[in-house]
Amino acid sequence: MILVRLLQVASVMLLLALWEMVAGLGWVDRAFVPAPSAVARSLGDTGGRALAGLADTLTKTAIAYAIAIVVGVGLGVTVGSIRLLRDVLNPFVIAAYGIPKILILPWIVLLTGFGTTPAIVYGALHGIFPIMVLVMGGVRDVDRTLITVARAYGASPWQLYWKVILPAIVPSMLAGMRLGIVFCLLGVLVVEMFAGLRGMGYVLSSLANAFRAPELFAATALVSTASIAIVLGLDWLNDRLSHWRA
Amino acid sequence: MRAGAGIVVAARLAIVIVLVAGWEFAARWYSPLLAAPPSLVLPALVGVLSLDTYPELPRHLLVTVREIVIAFAMAVAGGLATGFVLGLYRTLGRAYGPILAALYAVPAVVWYPSLMLFFGLDSSSKIAFGFLLGFFPITLAVLAGIRQVNPHLVMVARAFGARPLTTFVKVMIPAMLFTLVGGLRTGLALTVIGVIVGEILGSKAGIGSLINHAYGLLRTADYVALVLVTLVLIVATDALASLVEHRAQRWTDS
Repeated sequence: MILVRLLQVASVMLLLALWEMVAGLGWVDRAFVPAPSAVARSLGDTGGRALAGLADTLTKTAIAYAIAIVVGVGLGVTVGSIRLLRDVLNPFVIAAYGIPKILILPWIVLLTGFGTTPAIVYGALHGIFPIMVLVMGGVRDVDRTLITVARAYGASPWQLYWKVILPAIVPSMLAGMRLGIVFCLLGVLVVEMFAGLRGMGYVLSSLANAFRAPELFAATALVSTASIAIVLGLDWLNDRLSHWRA
Repeated sequence: MRAGAGIVVAARLAIVIVLVAGWEFAARWYSPLLAAPPSLVLPALVGVLSLDTYPELPRHLLVTVREIVIAFAMAVAGGLATGFVLGLYRTLGRAYGPILAALYAVPAVVWYPSLMLFFGLDSSSKIAFGFLLGFFPITLAVLAGIRQVNPHLVMVARAFGARPLTTFVKVMIPAMLFTLVGGLRTGLALTVIGVIVGEILGSKAGIGSLINHAYGLLRTADYVALVLVTLVLIVATDALASLVEHRAQRWTDS
């Protein structure tokens, strides 16, 4: 374990040192591949703007994510638990899940304008289908015996959903939410790059268009760290919740 | 059962009809220019397919296909090599596996501006982005596949003096073929998405640049027609991959 950690730290250090050296010796154009030290320095200049952009992006992502969870779980439970609906809608769900959403992004922008609305719509659209598909699978796989017994004891449809189906699909819901957050963030960032006026995606693409490589690398590192932190946080939450279930 | 199947098919058909009619109606009511009702898309599609609207369409399609092929070839090579090294050398796998998994949690599109700055607006940045998107699922599939290979097979091969590369190619790849092909299929789908996302975010050639062009000029009907053409390309690619997957499954089962 110590060896593994040592290897991780050493290789990251080595990579940074090598990169610094290559950039310092001028083997690559420093305008395009800035040295790590230059990137770190530029974090001071661009940090404020990048953090503001990140906050804006995360707010939109949170709204899109909330919509995606409500709609995804709602549709997943409804479609998953009604046999006829599931049979009829299955190809549509698969198609909607599989089609690259980027193709309809220009259309969403035309219909909702630039800025915040298309980011939330597109982010939510990205998150809904993975959540819905996983929840549908979870509902389909609920132990039939549980449902039969609940019905035999006279459970109302409401009780059936609330007390039997919902607790049984918690794991697939959590898996969907874990997958959904990255998709929502991705969707919001893409819109900000394509038709944004604010937000991290907009900051990144305008830095790239201005050829400000050090600031661009610093901002990229910032948003990457943030998304890794979010996913690790969700994993931790997931772990805690599964302890509680067991 | 037959009656049930009939109802399902009829309901699906009804949904498609309602969707198309609803789109037509809503678009006419809202804005035929922005929402492009089907009655305008159909003539636009004819114009696009007869190369009237965009005489250069075949060239742009070729650019996109070329980017996809190169990016996917690189993703396969890179993913197999990385998965092989990380899967066979346990210490390396434990050290770099988590780093790889963490990077996978980053929405890939954050790398795109850097790639565009570095490689420019031409094909290279799209190939790099397509590679990046395809690389991860392939690497992860190789790692998952190696874990499911029966260790006895590997032990016997090693005992008979097979070197790691030989063991990988002759024992492990056949034993994990199904998982591997599944990963390749996902990788291909993501590579295609990466190339198209790259083209739409900024390019000079390729089907994405045409889509962006039509959108920018508010030629919405042409835009929808181009999207339909792109969808055919995507579905055809996936159908090909699915065919290969079925062959692999048959081969593994027998």
